[in-house]
Amino acid sequence: MTPRRSVTLCILIVLLAAPVTAANIERFVTSSGDGLDVTLVVTGIPVGGIVETLPDGCVWKETDHPADRTRLSGGKAAFAVIGEETIRYRVQGPQEAAGVFTGTWEDLLTGESGTVGAAGTHGPESSKTPVEAPGFLSVAVLAALAVAYRRRCGR
Amino acid sequence: MTRRLILLACSLCLLAGMAMAIPCDGDGDGTLTSSELAAAILDSLDARQMGGAVEAPSPGDLRDAAFIYEHWDGRALTITDTSGQTTTLTRPIRRIALFNSDSLEMLRSIGIEPDRIVGVSKYVLEDPIFYPEYQGKANLGSVWSPDYEQAAGIRPDAVFLYASISQSSCDEIEDTLSAIDPDIRFFRFDSFRPTVYADEVRTLGLLLGKREGADRFLAFYGDAIGSVAGVVDTIPVNDRIPVYLENWNDYKSAGKGSGYDEKIELAGGMNIFGDNPVEYPVIDPEAVISKNPGVIVKIVGAGETTFGGYGDDDISSFERVHRAISDRPVWNQMKAIRDGRVHIIHTDVIGGPEYFIGTAYFAKWFYPDRFPDLDPRAVHRQYLEEFQRLDYDLDEHGTFVYPA
Repeated sequence: MTPRRSVTLCILIVLLAAPVTAANIERFVTSSGDGLDVTLVVTGIPVGGIVETLPDGCVWKETDHPADRTRLSGGKAAFAVIGEETIRYRVQGPQEAAGVFTGTWEDLLTGESGTVGAAGTHGPESSKTPVEAPGFLSVAVLAALAVAYRRRCGR
Repeated sequence: MTRRLILLACSLCLLAGMAMAIPCDGDGDGTLTSSELAAAILDSLDARQMGGAVEAPSPGDLRDAAFIYEHWDGRALTITDTSGQTTTLTRPIRRIALFNSDSLEMLRSIGIEPDRIVGVSKYVLEDPIFYPEYQGKANLGSVWSPDYEQAAGIRPDAVFLYASISQSSCDEIEDTLSAIDPDIRFFRFDSFRPTVYADEVRTLGLLLGKREGADRFLAFYGDAIGSVAGVVDTIPVNDRIPVYLENWNDYKSAGKGSGYDEKIELAGGMNIFGDNPVEYPVIDPEAVISKNPGVIVKIVGAGETTFGGYGDDDISSFERVHRAISDRPVWNQMKAIRDGRVHIIHTDVIGGPEYFIGTAYFAKWFYPDRFPDLDPRAVHRQYLEEFQRLDYDLDEHGTFVYPA
């Protein structure tokens, strides 16, 4: 199995094996040109907030999250979550920074909070960026497929 | 002096206005939009985690705003309870005090978090088998003997009372606690009356942000009730079997408009005292004989028949009551006795929120040939497992009906 396929499989396993009701946010980082694409997959948090801390050397580029739900300040990006199940953003920076992203989340309906990428059935290594990772689009498609699958499974 | 009074009045109006405002509703138009909520979330994250100097909502306001946006579409919620009382809420209910223990069972059916219940009636605390997770909550006494000190001390947002029983006692509780804390909201539900049961579940779901849980429960409940109603509807009115129902007090029956009257009708029976204007009339034994019911149902579990139910595995008391009815003087002339159609049922499955289980037993007893596949015990088991989330083995424990 190629590294690329193993990463794809890894992401699928992580996404599909995650409990569908427990609040959780996973982060997937892939390299793209001179930057990194980050996908946050939100599970079980209808209304909440996320603060991502960008690694040193990384510069914010863009996001697909609405502008009025995003705020940037001092190397941190805050996202208001209101029904979204994925958030994608892109930074410019070295590939080595892929494993250095950190973040926290809060579920405003339950009061629960946690660390992005810390929950679920996988160990800490799984959230680190593989060198030969699939591109931004591939991860996004996988994430969307996983979300759709979980919805069909009765979420 | 006049100026001071005006100032005081203005301050009170301002405070009242603040109390009625929806949290984080930036433009104050009474609707919390997604943009307003997003701004509040970002302000809060900015101030707490990003070193920002923005004016942020308190964590409590933010959580309340999230609840209102998610569950009430961003607007104040106006609720009309079973007593007809209307209440408008601009904050979620997070601390509930329950004098109506039947409502607690309904709340559990829709998936309420136990930590939202801060006080319960003494009957809940006396029933650790059915309410294990509520043991240790503040004891509020009962509707008839309330502990006001406890009730006020737990600072409830809302107090739940009965709608149509013990009205004067419930009025007194509401008056007394309102005088202590005018911010407490009061809601009245019956939790046992078929005509309002589904509406009460829906209202509770909306009120407490448990609409999905309420819908799930109502689907199950609808199936259980529907499986009986679908058959009963085909039985001509003139062919319906006459039923004598007696509660735990000998010769005390059910009259027009009582919950039991509704339940007999739901199961396709004809209540022989259904035209009696008294809700729970005490009747003459000879009146029963003259009406010659085809089925007799005796309810146990209260008064002098305080046995059976979830905490009692011994069926012998049911047998004794069954025998005593058959042995009543001259009653052996009645069709129900001659045909061996006397049934004993525990109030747990007919008197309160579980009445749809008892109604299924009624239907099976009234028309055994028409309901060969109806399995009230299976309905009971599913209810306990899925909706009460109780680890309770019906095959091993409890006594609810006799003969089984």
